[in-house]
Amino acid sequence: MSFWSRLQRTASSRRHAEEIRDELQFHLDMDVASGRDPREARIRLGNRSRIEEETRAVGIVAWIESCAQDVRYGWRQMRRAPVLTLAVLLSLTIGIGANTAIFSLLDAAILKPLPVPDAKQLRILEWTNDGYPPGLENINGDTTIAAGRFRASSVGANVYRRLARQQTAFDALVGFADPVPAALALDSSSAEQVSLQYVSANFFQGLEVAILGQPFRDEDDRVGAEPVAIVSNRYWIGRLGGDPSAIGRAIRINNVPTRIVGVAPPQFFGVHPGQWSDVYAPLAARVAFRPTERAADARGENDRDWWIRQIGRLKPGLTDEAARAALDPIFRGLASETTGSVDEKKIPALVVEPGARGLAALTPRDTSALWILMALVTVLLFIVCTNVANLLLSRAVARQRESAVRLALGAGRLRLLRQHAIEIGMIAIVGGASGLALGYVLAHGIHALFETGRDASYSFDLHLSARVLWFTAGSATLTAILFGLAPAIRGARADLHDVLKAQSRGIVGSRLRGARLLASVQVGLCLAAIVAAALLARSLQTIERVDVGFDRDNLAYVSVNPWQAGYTAERMPAYLDRARDELARIPGVVQVAPLEVRLLSGSGNAAGVVVPGRVTRPSDHANFNHVGEHAFETLGIPLVAGRAFEPADRQPNSQAVIVDERFARLFFPDRSPLGGRFGFNQKDPERYEIVGVVGDTFYNNLRNAPQAVVFLPYYWSSTAGIGGASTGPVNFAVRARIDAGQLAQAARAALASVDPAVPMSDFQTQTHLIDRILRTERLLGFISGAFGLLALTLVGIGLGGFLMYAVARRTNEIGIRMALGATRSVVIRDVLTEALVMVGAGVALGLPTAYAMATALRSQLFEIQPVDPLAIAGALAGLMLTAVAATLIPARRAAAVDPLIALRAE
Amino acid sequence: MSILDIYMAKPDNLQGALDVLVMKTLCRGAQHGFAIAAEIQQSSDDVLKVEAGSLYPALHRMTEAGLLKAVWRTSTAGRKARYYELTSKGRRRLTESEKRWHEVAAAVARVLRTA
Repeated sequence: MSFWSRLQRTASSRRHAEEIRDELQFHLDMDVASGRDPREARIRLGNRSRIEEETRAVGIVAWIESCAQDVRYGWRQMRRAPVLTLAVLLSLTIGIGANTAIFSLLDAAILKPLPVPDAKQLRILEWTNDGYPPGLENINGDTTIAAGRFRASSVGANVYRRLARQQTAFDALVGFADPVPAALALDSSSAEQVSLQYVSANFFQGLEVAILGQPFRDEDDRVGAEPVAIVSNRYWIGRLGGDPSAIGRAIRINNVPTRIVGVAPPQFFGVHPGQWSDVYAPLAARVAFRPTERAADARGENDRDWWIRQIGRLKPGLTDEAARAALDPIFRGLASETTGSVDEKKIPALVVEPGARGLAALTPRDTSALWILMALVTVLLFIVCTNVANLLLSRAVARQRESAVRLALGAGRLRLLRQHAIEIGMIAIVGGASGLALGYVLAHGIHALFETGRDASYSFDLHLSARVLWFTAGSATLTAILFGLAPAIRGARADLHDVLKAQSRGIVGSRLRGARLLASVQVGLCLAAIVAAALLARSLQTIERVDVGFDRDNLAYVSVNPWQAGYTAERMPAYLDRARDELARIPGVVQVAPLEVRLLSGSGNAAGVVVPGRVTRPSDHANFNHVGEHAFETLGIPLVAGRAFEPADRQPNSQAVIVDERFARLFFPDRSPLGGRFGFNQKDPERYEIVGVVGDTFYNNLRNAPQAVVFLPYYWSSTAGIGGASTGPVNFAVRARIDAGQLAQAARAALASVDPAVPMSDFQTQTHLIDRILRTERLLGFISGAFGLLALTLVGIGLGGFLMYAVARRTNEIGIRMALGATRSVVIRDVLTEALVMVGAGVALGLPTAYAMATALRSQLFEIQPVDPLAIAGALAGLMLTAVAATLIPARRAAAVDPLIALRAE
Repeated sequence: MSILDIYMAKPDNLQGALDVLVMKTLCRGAQHGFAIAAEIQQSSDDVLKVEAGSLYPALHRMTEAGLLKAVWRTSTAGRKARYYELTSKGRRRLTESEKRWHEVAAAVARVLRTA
């Protein structure tokens, strides 16, 4: 019985069962009709359902039996060619593994919905306005200028609370802030840095996340209420031993007594994939937890500080537009109260965005980097497919005689096809399974590269999800079809006449046309992959060699956060002077200076610049940084003119600032900047006087064109921002001649000797900070380089394998030619020519593909054009080298052919 | 008889005997299961009683193996019944098996005579 009818019958197994039942009923009826008592007839028939079952089983068992036979046969075939089998499985493992790895990352970072019920109903609320809304002091979170309008995501606490109460379009409107670092102490022991997220009282109920213990109540979200917290499952297991009695326990957050009321569920990380909050607290607790800046500070929420993002669960059946239309008037009413604006155009307007995946985990650049990697591994998988197809095809040709004989002996073509399909299926299953394992390991490795150092902002949940499993199964199946189809058809199509007639030579040459084409396609794909890898590597190299304007080696930053230990602004200067002196005393330390923003750390401050007598343009911006004395010596920034900071500058009313040459060129093009005055707002355009000019530096990133930088003296004041250093951590830049590990250890000890309650909160070398901001570039460079090398290796194996096979098939021909006087070098040249023709065809195919790929890469390239001669030349050279290397063994094999033996085999 | 036994069956044990009897019965023309059982019983003078529990799995297995062909046809009594007929492959198999059986039977007989 053929495969198809079996398949058909399996599909209609119910009808088959009915047929058997009818047949048995007929048997019974006939027995009765022939005069037997019905009861006796039934007894004679026996257990009907058992007979039915056994009869049905006949078909399935027979099929399984013959499949098992095919599996055993396939297994024997594989064992007969262990090298080939190993090469095939290894290629598949690499191809599928790489795809699984990148897909797991893509899935975890970009595709996976939030781990909450019915995530597709979630919407994120943002707003746009005609320029920065007047009256606001601060806007947290992402702010962009899109289509000429200012766009932001955060609102004030008052706006959020009233909007959440008054709106009706969402089942719940939830508010939350971006996680902030906080000091958490479990008992009298020293505090530990945790990630704290302020959330609205309805956060967990609104997202339908079940809390162990108590979710927040509305009364918890009031200024002055007893501070309460919910800890993440990770923190609960890791720090509280998963002890249920932790609920109700008293802890201290930023030195404020707080009670734990609940534990979040295991997979819940908040609304920002990749960022895991350790502790959640009600929005109003922000007032209580804020480090005391001055004892007499008024305690209350500042409505001009917009820091709360909103996400809502849309009511079923409502469109986004309907929700926006319902909420917008309420929102605008509330917003205009705060901004005091009456101009229609200057009142923020709501935007409703999809929120199923929460906040975007990656920047657009990182997202495109992941997609590029996905494209690269897809190319790699295609190379694997052609490689495996070629290897199997050559074997199928070799097995054609066997197939032809089996056909002649009466085996069905479909049966032969099934034999091949089962073998390919076996290969795909083994390759897929080992690919999955490799992918799992690779994904974690790449993830570790992503998540450099203590920076856990890209910490994704990489548990093998059903989606990843489906993806792997899907790619293994697709791969099997791609690599298996041609060999299977070739195997089943064997024509006895042709094959037996052809014996072991001749005709075969033309049969290799398909394999030759595949090898060329493979070379083309490989070229595209290595051109991409070469471009990314060149780009990484270029950006790593950028002159940053200061001495990046032997420079480290030691950070402390005295605010968290309860220091007030009044006590800060004395502490910091002592800390700096202790650090400077460490043997090997050359120079120490405090500063607010660590250079090239990815973050920083910028402000608009106003120069008296100059028309202010929207682009008049400068980055600024507060630095202590000796900062320029410590960082290695040359002083070009004027003077550096002196202790006398360290006071709130100081007017002295130092600017870089770019600032001088930009704002004082025709005169000496020394003595020049400017301000950061229109109200006070003569606030600062330039006392010195230093060399240009890159400020917080290397990709964008550097902006002008203003240096202000480092002092401590009660208000954050331009007025003075904020209540964030204090960073000491340390230039030292000793290695980083030693320095970190010595610095920790030095700081402990100043005040044990203020531990070193961070230690970073400048090179590590630079590595971190170049994370995407490095990731792309390394991984695409690794994949490019893999692609080259695979192509080498593919080419070499093909040529070996071609030489083996042509042993007789070569023998005859050598007998007729061809020299070894001629034979070698022929093999080489054959390889180069294939590579040449591949290059012709690959160049346009490479160009398309390079164009897609454009956004990732730093000062490198998509058509980069060096990258293309490098890729071509690599390919040629691989081709020649792949030809070596087959060529030697061909040259070693002994004419006598070759001819005797005839 | 377990499922496995059906499948491990070789033509030279009892299972094979039933196959030969069925094929022999069918070489005289297509028949449904009940008629096959009745005919075997009859022609063996009631010595061989074919159980439905052995017969139907055997019929289906032989159909799978391509020895028999099954079709639904209206029986003499005017009801739809599943008729089995011998395929050419079945016919060849019958010839082989018959020959084998005669040899085995003769051999057994010789052993019994001399012992």
